[in-house]
Amino acid sequence: MLKTETITINMGPQHPSTHGVFRMVLTLNGETIVDLKPMFGYLHRGLEKTSESRTYLQAVPFTDRLDYICSMSNNFAYAVAVEKLAGIEVPLRAEYIRVIMAELTRLVNHMLAVGFLFNDLGAWYTPVVYAFRERERILDLFEMASGSRMMCNYIRPGGVAADLPAEFLPQLRKMIPHLENFVREIRFYLSDNEIFKARAVGVGFLPADMAVAYSITGPVLRASGVKYDVRKAEPYSIYDQFEFDVPTQVAGDVYARYLQRLDEMDESLKILRQAVERIPDGEYATKVPSRLRPPKGEAYARIEAPKGELGFYLVSDGSPNPYRWRNRPPSLINLSALREMCLGHKVADVVTILGSIDITLADVDR
Amino acid sequence: MQVLDDLWIRIAVWFRGLLESFLPPWAVQLTMDVLGILLLIVLGIVVVLAFTYMERKVIARVGDRIGPNRAGPFGIFQAIADAIKMLTKEDVTPTNADRWLFLAAPIVVIIPAVLLYAVLPFGRGMVGVDLNIAVVFVVAMGGIPILTMLMAGWASNNKYALLGAFRTVAQLISYEVPMVVALLTVVLLAGTMSTVGIVEAQASFPFALVTPVAFVVYMLAGLAELNRTPFDLLEADSEIVAGYFIEYSGMKFAMFFLAEYINLFMVAGMITTLFLAGWQWPILPSWLWFLIKVVVVIFLMMWIRATFPRFRIDQMLGFAWKALVPVSLVNLFLVALVAKVLEPGWARTGVLFVSNLALLAGAIAIMAQVARKREERARAAGEAAIKRYYGSEVR
Amino acid sequence: MYGKGIAKGLWVTLKHIWGTYAKDIKKFPRRYAPGGIAKRTDYDLYGLFTLQYPEERYEMFPRFRGALMHLRNPETGEPNCTACGACERACPHGVISLEGEGKGKDRKVTAYRYDLGRCIFCRLCVESCNFNAIELSREYELSRYKKDFILELDDLLKIGDKYGIHKTGEAWGVTE
Ligand code: SF4
Ligand code: SF4
Repeated sequence: MLKTETITINMGPQHPSTHGVFRMVLTLNGETIVDLKPMFGYLHRGLEKTSESRTYLQAVPFTDRLDYICSMSNNFAYAVAVEKLAGIEVPLRAEYIRVIMAELTRLVNHMLAVGFLFNDLGAWYTPVVYAFRERERILDLFEMASGSRMMCNYIRPGGVAADLPAEFLPQLRKMIPHLENFVREIRFYLSDNEIFKARAVGVGFLPADMAVAYSITGPVLRASGVKYDVRKAEPYSIYDQFEFDVPTQVAGDVYARYLQRLDEMDESLKILRQAVERIPDGEYATKVPSRLRPPKGEAYARIEAPKGELGFYLVSDGSPNPYRWRNRPPSLINLSALREMCLGHKVADVVTILGSIDITLADVDR
Repeated sequence: MQVLDDLWIRIAVWFRGLLESFLPPWAVQLTMDVLGILLLIVLGIVVVLAFTYMERKVIARVGDRIGPNRAGPFGIFQAIADAIKMLTKEDVTPTNADRWLFLAAPIVVIIPAVLLYAVLPFGRGMVGVDLNIAVVFVVAMGGIPILTMLMAGWASNNKYALLGAFRTVAQLISYEVPMVVALLTVVLLAGTMSTVGIVEAQASFPFALVTPVAFVVYMLAGLAELNRTPFDLLEADSEIVAGYFIEYSGMKFAMFFLAEYINLFMVAGMITTLFLAGWQWPILPSWLWFLIKVVVVIFLMMWIRATFPRFRIDQMLGFAWKALVPVSLVNLFLVALVAKVLEPGWARTGVLFVSNLALLAGAIAIMAQVARKREERARAAGEAAIKRYYGSEVR
Repeated sequence: MYGKGIAKGLWVTLKHIWGTYAKDIKKFPRRYAPGGIAKRTDYDLYGLFTLQYPEERYEMFPRFRGALMHLRNPETGEPNCTACGACERACPHGVISLEGEGKGKDRKVTAYRYDLGRCIFCRLCVESCNFNAIELSREYELSRYKKDFILELDDLLKIGDKYGIHKTGEAWGVTE
């Protein structure tokens, strides 16, 4: 009697391309996925609860560690939430600095996302190394301004931790054309590649309506064709003063997500150009007491982090410690559509699709 | 020049003379044979050391890095350091592994790899044995590693290894077909199956010029046989970790590693022999020409490896059966026809070259069409979903 | 045309291979040059960019946040710290613990323990200090052979002496 059997494979938690300690239980028929169960929580550090026993300021370094690739955006979202809660005004220069940092972070994140997507596709580290090279330079800027490359702890409630150093802006001006070049090179190098297209076109299709139903946000949503960007939908900080588009794709597959990220990098560079030109002099922060006691109440603030909508929900009971400190991580929520995207594809595609969603496990597990 | 060209042969003849002065003829023959075998094995190992170093350097340079630069000047001893590390590593056998198969696989994998060197013409008159069916020998020996990979994958009792083994069998067997057809094309042109004969038949034109299609097909099939990007699915580290040798460590792993690079040299050598006129071409000594061509081919392979992502298993098999096999069959037919009608010479080369290019262009056009269809389908699906969501055409 | 993408890819990587060798040749006999900040700002798309770490090192930016150090009063040579405890309260991880003696202006620090192994280099402690007593140094090679990660006041002062500064936040544009 000839019969076939499905096999179950544990992909992860130790696997080269699960982007951290993430585990997927795959049921395979040959190489085709019949079922997929994502399992996470290996990196759960209880940051939400820990932060509830700290002051508002002390929680800023914890937000660095949510999505360690885009610590600046996390700081930003948290700062916006605290400001909303306590009614703090932010000086204009600080807003500009924040926008610059957030867009640089977006560049960093998308570089890594594109690079590691190719790593998952088996491109032997070359695109990753090119991406890392540029990323390191942006991190140099972060280090110059904040003293740390990844755990920046720079954007604080009320403004930023310190004014930009004198060399920062000239350096950034020099760098923008260079980064544009980099994006162009990556497009030239990879966008037309037939092997990549064969691997990516039509793979991991996420229909627009399903994406919305799963409340997917960020590049993944826009790649499915839904024009939604918090920067436009509910402008925070000074994003309403910049001219930029929200690019979208149509196909909603891995290839569209890749293109989407490159397009977003172009838009970020556009914003950076404007911000560098227009940044005013002035205060870099309003003074906020280190033991801030916001009035009783709650606030939810969201920003467009590189990976999607990043929100912080804070409840204050009038004491220096938040009563509730809740974070809406884009990675976790984008990950929820993984199964739908993967069913019917091959093992190799799971890795690609996971790479194209672009998660950080620290952000998933918190 | 002549002296340099014959250098190795002269050394051999002189050495034989030396032995004959004090040994009986049968002993002389035996010693020479044993020495020859040893020489080839040593060559194999040297090749591995050299090409692992080269591979690292090339990949590093592609990534704007320096590559190994610690062990020795310019890091040239890196490969040796690696070898020492491999040998001193703990040798783990998984608990539920099939012990004997697990042990045997790495040994069996290396034997055909080394055996293949016997028919490779390294230079004028420098060939282990001038078999008149050398090409068949190459194909037959090339089939054995498939078995060993399946052995390794099965014996490891690991699901990733098993998946790797599945893939191995599917992939290597499919790619064997276009490879053999491409070989056949060359055999038709040369009128002989002996590697030496094939090289000699390319005195005026290398077969890469005569039939570029066969060259390209053989090159791609060779990449697949070697599990190199874009066909490195057997050991796709981002998918199935390391494929069939995931459970191997230490010395046994080193064996697979060794076999891989020996095969790399072998395939590059075969490409050189079959399509790039082997040791032919003027001025430089023949063996040097051979080496240069091999290194160039290997560089090409490494360059490809460092540049591209890999295919997916079904795409890869589809590529073999739907693209390479038909194309190479048509090419075989074409070559057979033209070779029958025209005498070797400019006319034949020209006709074949042009018709081959046309064939290649046709195949590429069809592939482009298929890819475009795919893209359109993906786009249409996306558009439908967007319409579903927005209720109308919104972009 | 199909295959164009492949050719483009090969072209890009070839340019990179060539670029690295071109840089090699330019720098010939060379290799390990101690790199400064200038090296980080040298932009070109092609060419080597890795750093051969133990031989070559980047200079850290002035704001770099490394291990904690204590600063001295330039006149008396005594630590600036008044054991007020603000840093202890500001630290989100309870890395710092200290003891002091005396009252008011005469209060002096007697013991200051800093647990390097748990510090996350957030600089909140420094920001809370009003006495120019502590600052983060640019030390970044912090691994130890033993688990003696707890630095006492003397160790911290020793690090501070290396930098010879007496004021907090000079690089940050916020001296008080
Ligand atoms: S270091 Fe500064 S904050 Fe800490 S106890 Fe001393 S004076 Fe107070
Ligand atoms: S740098 Fe941060 S973690 Fe370290 S001692 Fe200061 S406040 Fe604590």
